[in-house]
Amino acid sequence: MKFQIPIGPQHPALKEPISLRMTVEGEIIRDADLRLGYNHRGLEKLAEQKTWIQNIYLTERICGICSHSHTTCYVQGVEKLMELEPPRRGLYIRTLVAELERVHSHLLWLGVAGHEAGFDSFFMYTWRDREIVMDILETISGNRVHYGINTIGGVRRDLDEQQVKHILDSLAILRQRSEYYQHLGTNEPSFVARLAGVGYLSREDAIALCAVGPTLRASGVPMDVRKDDPYAVYAEVPFEVCTADTCDVLGRTVVRIKELFQCYNIIEYLLKNLPSGPVAVRAPRRAKPNEVVSRYEAPRGENIHYIKSNGTDKPERLKVRAPTLGNYAATLKMLKNGFIADVPLIFAAIDPCICCAERAVSLVDARSGQEKIISMNALKQLSRQVAAGNARKREAEWPL
Amino acid sequence: MNDQILIDQAKARLGEKVLEITNPAPRRIFIRVKVDDLLAAVGWLKNELGFTHLATISGVDLGQAFELLYHFANNFTCVTLRTDIARDNPLLPSICEIIPGAVLYERELQDMFGIVVQNIPDGRPLVLPDDWPAGNYPLRKDWKYERPPEVIPGGKK
Repeated sequence: MKFQIPIGPQHPALKEPISLRMTVEGEIIRDADLRLGYNHRGLEKLAEQKTWIQNIYLTERICGICSHSHTTCYVQGVEKLMELEPPRRGLYIRTLVAELERVHSHLLWLGVAGHEAGFDSFFMYTWRDREIVMDILETISGNRVHYGINTIGGVRRDLDEQQVKHILDSLAILRQRSEYYQHLGTNEPSFVARLAGVGYLSREDAIALCAVGPTLRASGVPMDVRKDDPYAVYAEVPFEVCTADTCDVLGRTVVRIKELFQCYNIIEYLLKNLPSGPVAVRAPRRAKPNEVVSRYEAPRGENIHYIKSNGTDKPERLKVRAPTLGNYAATLKMLKNGFIADVPLIFAAIDPCICCAERAVSLVDARSGQEKIISMNALKQLSRQVAAGNARKREAEWPL
Repeated sequence: MNDQILIDQAKARLGEKVLEITNPAPRRIFIRVKVDDLLAAVGWLKNELGFTHLATISGVDLGQAFELLYHFANNFTCVTLRTDIARDNPLLPSICEIIPGAVLYERELQDMFGIVVQNIPDGRPLVLPDDWPAGNYPLRKDWKYERPPEVIPGGKK
């Protein structure tokens, strides 16, 4: 006997609206299906009506966690279109913010993984330490979430000596804490047992389904845009691509913890070798007709923007592919033959960043078991029809 | 593998199927092919050169035609296959046979541009809501959003 279980678009186990439909046999998921669109914002259409500068702030709002990823990807593409060369100090600060963002995103994810695995003290510890990196970001940019630091031709704010010292001091604390988490995460038997073997995605499947980021690297594929297609100053910064070969949620945790340490090394290198000079150059208002493909390694994986200009001050087309969309096909594969209880954990393991799902209500006829999808407007109409037919009770009394 | 080797290989292996190759920046190669040769070109990229990762498919409305850009990447470079289809007969072959991970991007193209992807394994709508009016394709240039007038149930008194 097979049952269908809908999860989402709004569900207490998932932090963002996603609509999954699972066909289960007992406790085991036999098939999984996904529906996006609950929260589709039509941002690519909107971008065609905004100027190059306005679009920086628009792309920043694609995501709340990796806001810097989208602006950097967009801005470095537009700089190519406008044939601008940002100053080196500007690029260093841009990369610094990018790595700090990766630290805060990975610490956030570690907390969520702990929470989904039922290890809530781990969640509270990591999120407490995430405040340290959020404070650093606030001292650099003035903001905790949407940093607004990128501009076409460089960055908007400079760093001073005091800030550099503050970041280095805070980094020492973060490094020490992360070592503790690494020890805890890999030696706490119940935590490891909860994660190991869950959400298996073989190397072949990860490649065939075009997975990206830590999900791909945890299946043993060393692909990282920072290494393969160096942008900003990654060509001159020493770091390693972190992989794992267990192909499960444990592997994805290990990859992220390893990446945290790489991030600390990169940040330290950037601050110690910060060149002097200006942070931005003036940008023109228009861009000649051209096109560019811009890639960026966001904390969740490869982020790609395709930008086409037509000679005006607005883009002809801005195509955005955020990393989560790239990981959905792989997630459905991971869910198959797993347990219902593993769904939040597997789903959290791709670090989803959802602006998606479904805008309809599914109604099940209790007598026949038949299911039909009905739109919100049709449902409203139905309720009005029923309400209009009812005789109004004028003198109804409150029963208590 | 650098860009020049790849360009030479493309010319040697695909021959006349390649209409145009440009290399505007390091690690960015654009290859234009006819839509009939798309599957051959994708198969060549994947099987012979190891471009297993399809980053995304971008669609552009050119007015008379739709331009599709298939962005492929590997550890060395990033290749974009470019093809056009007529706007009044927007038929596109599915590449899911070769790259299974392309299905979500093809479904998005169907929703946003009204392109009919042939042999797609799963052609249901992906990003648009279920009650979206038929024949409305938001990313076409002639599509404009008009906010529907707000109706107060029962009328204004």
